[in-house]
Amino acid sequence: MSDTSTSEVLRLPAETRYAEELAFLAAFDAGPRPSSWRLTPRMVRTFVLGSTPQDKMPRDIPQKWFGPASIVERAIVTLASDRGLLLIGDPGTGKSWLAELLSAAVCSNSTYVVQGTAGTTEDQIKYSWNVAMVIAAGQSKDSMIPSPIMTAMQRGEMGRFEELTRCTSDVQDALISILSEKYISIPELRDDNTVFARPGFNLIATANSRDRGVNDLSSALKRRFNFVQIPIVQSRAAEKKIVLFRVKDLLARAGFEIDVPPSLLDVLLRTFEDLRQASAASNTDDGRLESSLSTAEQIGVLEDAVLHSRFFGDAVVRPELVAASVVGTLVRRIPEDVSVMNRFWHSVVDKHASKEKGDWVGFLEGGKEALKQLG
Amino acid sequence: MMAPTVLEDEAFAALRAQLLGAAADLAPDAKHLADLLAGLSDDVARVLQEPLQIFPVAHHSPACAVQLVRRLQRTAPKVIFIEACEDLQALLPELASCVPPVAMQAFAGESPAFPPRWLPLSLVMPMTPFSAEYQAICYGLANPDVELVFVDRSSDHVFQWLPQQEATPTAPGGPSDDDENARLHGGALGVELGSLVPTFPVFLESLLEHSRASTFSEWWSVYVDEPTIGADYNTWRQVMVLVGALIRRLGSRAELVESDRLRERFMWTRMKDHLVAKGIQPKDAMYICGAAHAASDVPEWGTTKLGQPDDPRWNIPARTVTPWQYGFIPSSYSAIERQFGLARGSISVAEQSWEKALKALNLKAMPLPKAAKAAKGEVVEGAETEAPKPKTKTKKAAAPLPEEIASVGGASGVLSRPPSLQAEDHEQLLQWCTGVVAKARENHYMASTADAIAIYQTSLLLARMRGRLHPSPFDFADAAETCLDKGDPTMRRSVRHLCGMIMGGDRVGKVGYTTLPPLVRDVYDRLATVGVIPGKSTVTRALMDLRKEGPRLLPVSDLLWRLRALLPSSDAVRPVMGERRLGVPRVQESWDIKLHGPALRDLIELAYEGVTIEQVLERRLRDKAFAPNATAATVLGLAEDALLYAERDRLSEELGERAVELLRLELSAANARELFERVRRLVHHLRARPEGLPHWLGDFVATGYQHYASLLPQSFADRGTSPEQLAGMLAFVFSLESLALSLGCQRSQVIIAVRQAAPLTTDPGKLGLLWAAEWTLELKRGDEVRAEFNALMDNPMSLSALPGALGSLLLALSFTPLVSALAAELLSRAFMELPESLLLPWLPGLLDSLRPVAGTILPALMREVVQSTPRSLRELDAWTPPWEAPRPAAATATAPKSTKKADERSPEERATNALLRAAPASVEAWAAALGLAPGWAAPPAEGGEEAQSDDAEAPIGDDPNTAAIQSLLTAYPVPVSAWAARLGS
Repeated sequence: MSDTSTSEVLRLPAETRYAEELAFLAAFDAGPRPSSWRLTPRMVRTFVLGSTPQDKMPRDIPQKWFGPASIVERAIVTLASDRGLLLIGDPGTGKSWLAELLSAAVCSNSTYVVQGTAGTTEDQIKYSWNVAMVIAAGQSKDSMIPSPIMTAMQRGEMGRFEELTRCTSDVQDALISILSEKYISIPELRDDNTVFARPGFNLIATANSRDRGVNDLSSALKRRFNFVQIPIVQSRAAEKKIVLFRVKDLLARAGFEIDVPPSLLDVLLRTFEDLRQASAASNTDDGRLESSLSTAEQIGVLEDAVLHSRFFGDAVVRPELVAASVVGTLVRRIPEDVSVMNRFWHSVVDKHASKEKGDWVGFLEGGKEALKQLG
Repeated sequence: MMAPTVLEDEAFAALRAQLLGAAADLAPDAKHLADLLAGLSDDVARVLQEPLQIFPVAHHSPACAVQLVRRLQRTAPKVIFIEACEDLQALLPELASCVPPVAMQAFAGESPAFPPRWLPLSLVMPMTPFSAEYQAICYGLANPDVELVFVDRSSDHVFQWLPQQEATPTAPGGPSDDDENARLHGGALGVELGSLVPTFPVFLESLLEHSRASTFSEWWSVYVDEPTIGADYNTWRQVMVLVGALIRRLGSRAELVESDRLRERFMWTRMKDHLVAKGIQPKDAMYICGAAHAASDVPEWGTTKLGQPDDPRWNIPARTVTPWQYGFIPSSYSAIERQFGLARGSISVAEQSWEKALKALNLKAMPLPKAAKAAKGEVVEGAETEAPKPKTKTKKAAAPLPEEIASVGGASGVLSRPPSLQAEDHEQLLQWCTGVVAKARENHYMASTADAIAIYQTSLLLARMRGRLHPSPFDFADAAETCLDKGDPTMRRSVRHLCGMIMGGDRVGKVGYTTLPPLVRDVYDRLATVGVIPGKSTVTRALMDLRKEGPRLLPVSDLLWRLRALLPSSDAVRPVMGERRLGVPRVQESWDIKLHGPALRDLIELAYEGVTIEQVLERRLRDKAFAPNATAATVLGLAEDALLYAERDRLSEELGERAVELLRLELSAANARELFERVRRLVHHLRARPEGLPHWLGDFVATGYQHYASLLPQSFADRGTSPEQLAGMLAFVFSLESLALSLGCQRSQVIIAVRQAAPLTTDPGKLGLLWAAEWTLELKRGDEVRAEFNALMDNPMSLSALPGALGSLLLALSFTPLVSALAAELLSRAFMELPESLLLPWLPGLLDSLRPVAGTILPALMREVVQSTPRSLRELDAWTPPWEAPRPAAATATAPKSTKKADERSPEERATNALLRAAPASVEAWAAALGLAPGWAAPPAEGGEEAQSDDAEAPIGDDPNTAAIQSLLTAYPVPVSAWAARLGS
C-alpha cells in the first residue's frame, strides 16, 4: 500500500476500509485456515454476508454483498481449492465488488488487479521490463516489472483479473500455466528465472455474460476455473437493501447523508421492475432500452437524484427529481430510448399514478417534464 | 419391555429442562418467547402422554417411514387412523396393482354447490413408497386384522372450506412446468399427509438464513430427516412433535392455522366415533398425522374423556350433493415437487435416504399384498409389484441398530452428534462424485477424474463452511455445479439436472390395468389391434390402411377420432396423417398414441364421466348443447360433431332441433357467417344420402331464411351490425334460397325486407351489399348499380364513401356472382382513379375484411379479372378495359326492360319509328323544340324486318332523345294513328 493518507483517497479498497473488522474476524476465529489465509472460510463468509445471531459474535458484522449465500460459499471453497474462480454475470450484478471483498478477506489485499481490455497484452499478465534499466544494466530481476498477478504469486495472495473475456484468447491463455503449474518462467534471465507461487495464491476473474461469444475461454483455461454465475437480483427486498447500502456508501464520499423516503424507493424499484418486464416482453431492439436495467443503474439513478437535491435543491429527494434522473440515466439513444420511455411513462407509470397516487403522481409529472425536454 | 413414561424419560427431561430454563431466562425481557418455549415443551409432554399413539410425520419423509416400519414390527395396533381424506379410503384395495408414485384422485365434473369457474373439481393425494402413510397402508392391507381408517375431511369439505371468491383452486405452476412429468397432476388441488412447510414468510426466511440452507426441503433433509432417521422411537417422536409445534405456533399463517383446527376437530371426532363404535381402547390405536397436527389445541383433542358424556365432539358439516368420482392417476416425483412447492430433486434425495437407511438398518419395506391377477395377464402393470424391494441381501449380517447410540442425549442431542449412518453417507458421496462426472461426460460436458476429485473436495469444504458434519445432497449438487458448469448455454441438461439423475431422477408411477376405470380398460382393449399395450411408456405409431383392412381398422379409427374430439389438447392421440370431415372417405391414417403420463391422467379423468368413450362423447355434446351459454352456431357445430364422431342420427337430430330453437331466439346476426358455412356443409352432405335431408336441417334452413329476412332492415340500419355479418346473413338467404323456397318460404319476404332497408341504409360500408341484394332480387339493374357507383366516384364530396361501398360489393361476391364483373371493373377503376390519400389507408382494412371470406370471393373475382385482362404482353398495347370499350348493341338489346318494351310495341309504333328514321330532319326539329340535344341514332341496318326491329330497339334503352320522343308519341296516340292511316299501314 502506498502511504497516501486514507483521508485523501477517493475510494478506499475494502481491506483498508474494513481493516478493523478484518482484524476482529481474524482474532475471533482461530480455527484452521487454508494455507496463508488471514481468515477461516467461515469468517470470510461472515465478512461478506454479515453475521447472524447464530455466529454468537460479540459485535455485529454488516452485510456487504447481497445475493444468494450459496454463491459466496461456492466462491470461497473454490478459492481454497486448486482452481481459479471466475465470476460471471450481467453488468451491475456485483461481481467486481464480490471479488474485491473476497480478496480483502482472504489476504487483506485486493489491489493486485489486471483490467482486461481488447488491448491487454501478455506482458501485463506476466511481467515487463524497465527499458532504461535494461539498456543501462541488462536484464535482471531488478529491471523486471512484475505484473500484479506475478506479485500476488510471489506473496501468496489473491490476484484479480477483471473482464477476462474482453481479452483476446492468446492473452487469456497466458493464465493456463499460472493456474496449472503455479509458476512463471522468465527465459530472459539465466539464473533464478522462475517465479513460483506461494501457498495462498489464487485468481479471481470476472466476466460479463453479455460478452459471451466475443472471446470465449479455451477449453484448457475453462478447466482451470470454477465458474460461479452471479444472478440478477430478483427479490425487491434484497434489491432495496443493495440500493440503500451502495447509495449510502457513495454519498459518504461526498460527506453527507440524505434520507430517501421508503415509499419513493419503492417507486424506483417498481419502475425498474416494470421496465425489465417491458424489456423482456419486447421482441425488437428498438422496443427495449439499451441499458441493462441492473441494480447498479438504480444506484446511479438514486445517487444522481440525491446529489441534485443536495446541491441544486432543498436537500429533500423528491419524486420529480428521481423521475428526471431515471429518464436522464436510461435514455441513451435518441430517439429510440425516448420513444420507449415515453410509451412506458404514459402507460405503466400513468396507471400507477392514477391507482396508487402518493409519490407516483410527482414521479409521473417529473418524468413527463424530463421527456419533454429531451424531445 | 415397558417403555419409560414421558416424565421418566431422561432424554425428554433434559430437553424440557433446557427449554424451560431458556423460558425462565427470557421471561422478564421477552415474555412471548418465554411462553413459546414453555408451550413447545408442554406440547411435547402432552402428545407423549396421550394414550392414543400419535405418530407425527412429515410429507415424503424417509425418517418417518423408517420409524413406522420399525414401530409396526414391534407393536401391532388394532386400528391405524391416517390423516387422509376419508372418502378416498374406498380406493385402498386398488393400490395393490399400482406402482408408486401414484395419486388418489377425487373428481367431480359438475356440481351445483361450487362456483362454476372451479369446475371440474379435482383433488389428488400423491403417495411415495418412502412415506409413513404408504408403509402403514401396505401394512394394513397385508394384515386384515388391522383396520385402516382415513379420518381427515372429505374431498368435498376441502372445497367447501376454500374461500368462495378464490378464482380457481388449482396448484400454481412451479419451475419445472416445462417438464411433462411435472404436469401429471394437471390443475388438480393437492392434499398431502403431513404438510409441514412453513407458510409464514418471515419465519421461513429466518429459518433458512440461520441454518444456511437454501430451501425448506434442504433444511428438513439436513436438520430433521437425516439426524433422526436412525434415532430411537422416543427421540424421533420428540423431535417431530417439537418441530411440528414450532411450525404450527410460529411458522404458519393465522388463517391456515384456523383451517388446520377445523381439520383436527374433524379428525378427532371421527377417531373417537370409531373407537367408541368398535370398542377399541385408545392404546390399541395409532394416529398417523402431520407433525403440526400432533399437539393441537382443539377441544376434541385427546382421549382421556373418551366415552364420557362431556367428551367434546364436533358437529361435522354435511357434504354437498356434488357427485364425486374416485380413482388412481399416475404421479411422479417432479409432479409432487411442483404441486407442493418442494425443491426440485428433493423427493429423489428422500428416496436415496430411504434406500440407504433400509440397507444400513437391515429393514425391509412393508410388502403390499399381491394384486389379483388381472384378466389381461401380461399387460397387468405393477400387479406383481410389492412395495419397492430394498436392495438389502438377507444374508448380509445385520448392521447394529444405532438406536442405543442415538438415544443418548435424546432430542436435545440429535444435532450435536455425528449422523448415525456416517459410513453409508461417505460411500454414497463417493458414488455421487464419480457418477455425476460420468453422467456429465455422457452429456457432452468437459469432465474428467480431476473434476470428480474437485467435486468431492468442494463438497466437504462446503459442508464444513455450512456447519455440517457431512455433505448433504444439496452441498454435493452445489459442488458439482461449481466444478462442472462452465456457463455453456448450449448444454441440454444442467448440472443440477444431472445430479438429480444420479440420485435416482424423476420416477413416474403406474396405475395397474385392473385399477384403471372401465372406460380406460375399454380403450386399451379396443386399441390392442394397433399394438397399444397398457403400461407401455413409449409412443405407439399406428399406421392404418383403411382401404385394405377397413373392417378391422375402421372401429379403431372411429375410436381414435372420438378420443381426439374429446381430448383435443392432450397428447393422448395425435393424427399424423388423415382427416375426418363430412363426406370425405377415409383412406389411410397414421396416429401417434401415447397413453401414459399426463395423457393417461386425461383419459382417466374422462372415465369419471362414463363407462365408454361413446357415452362420454354423447353426454358432453348434449351438455354443451343445453348449456345456458349455447348459441345456434355452437349447437349446429355440435350436431355436426354428432354426425361426424358419434355417428348417431338420433343425437344429431336432438341437437339440430335445439339449434333451431336457439336460432329462433337469437336477436342478432353475429354468427351468421359461421351458421351459413355450417348449414351449407351439412346440406351438401346430408342431401346426398339415400334418406335425404333430415327434417331438422330443413327446418333450420327455413327458420334461418325467415329469421335473417326479418332482421335485414334492422341490420342494414344498425351500426352495430358489421358489413361482414350482413354479408353472412345475405349469403344464408340467397345461397339457401332455393331450398328454403321449396320448404314453403316466400321470396316476397326478402324483397319487402330489402325495399325497407334501402332508405335506412346510410353506412357506406353496407351500400354495396344493399345494391347487390337489390340487383339479385331484380329491384335494380346492373347499369343502375354502376350508375350509383359512378355517382360516388364522380362526386368529390362522396368519394370518401366509395371504399366502403366497394368493399361491401366485394363481400357480396360471397352470395351472388352477378356482381363479379362490376366488382372487377370498379376495383380497377378505384386503383386507377382514387387519390392516394384515400386509396392507401383503405387497402389494409380491405385486406383484413376480405381475409375471412377470401376462399369464397377471390375465385370469382380472379376469374373475372383474368377474363377481362390481356392474356399476353402483345395484346397489352391494343387492350382496352372492357368497361371502356363501346358496348355491342346485342348486349343492351338483351336488357330485360328494353326487350319487354320492344315486344310490346304495336305495328303502328314500329311503322312510325321507321317513318321518323326516314325523316331525321323533322325529328331533329322536334327535339330542338322539346329542348333536347340533337343526337339521332345511326341509320337502320340493311336486312329484313327482324333485323330492322332489332336495330330499332337499340337506341330505345340508351338514347334519351329517342326515349323522350317515344314517350311523347305514346302520350298522343291520335296523331300517330293519323300518320299511320296516311302511310297506309
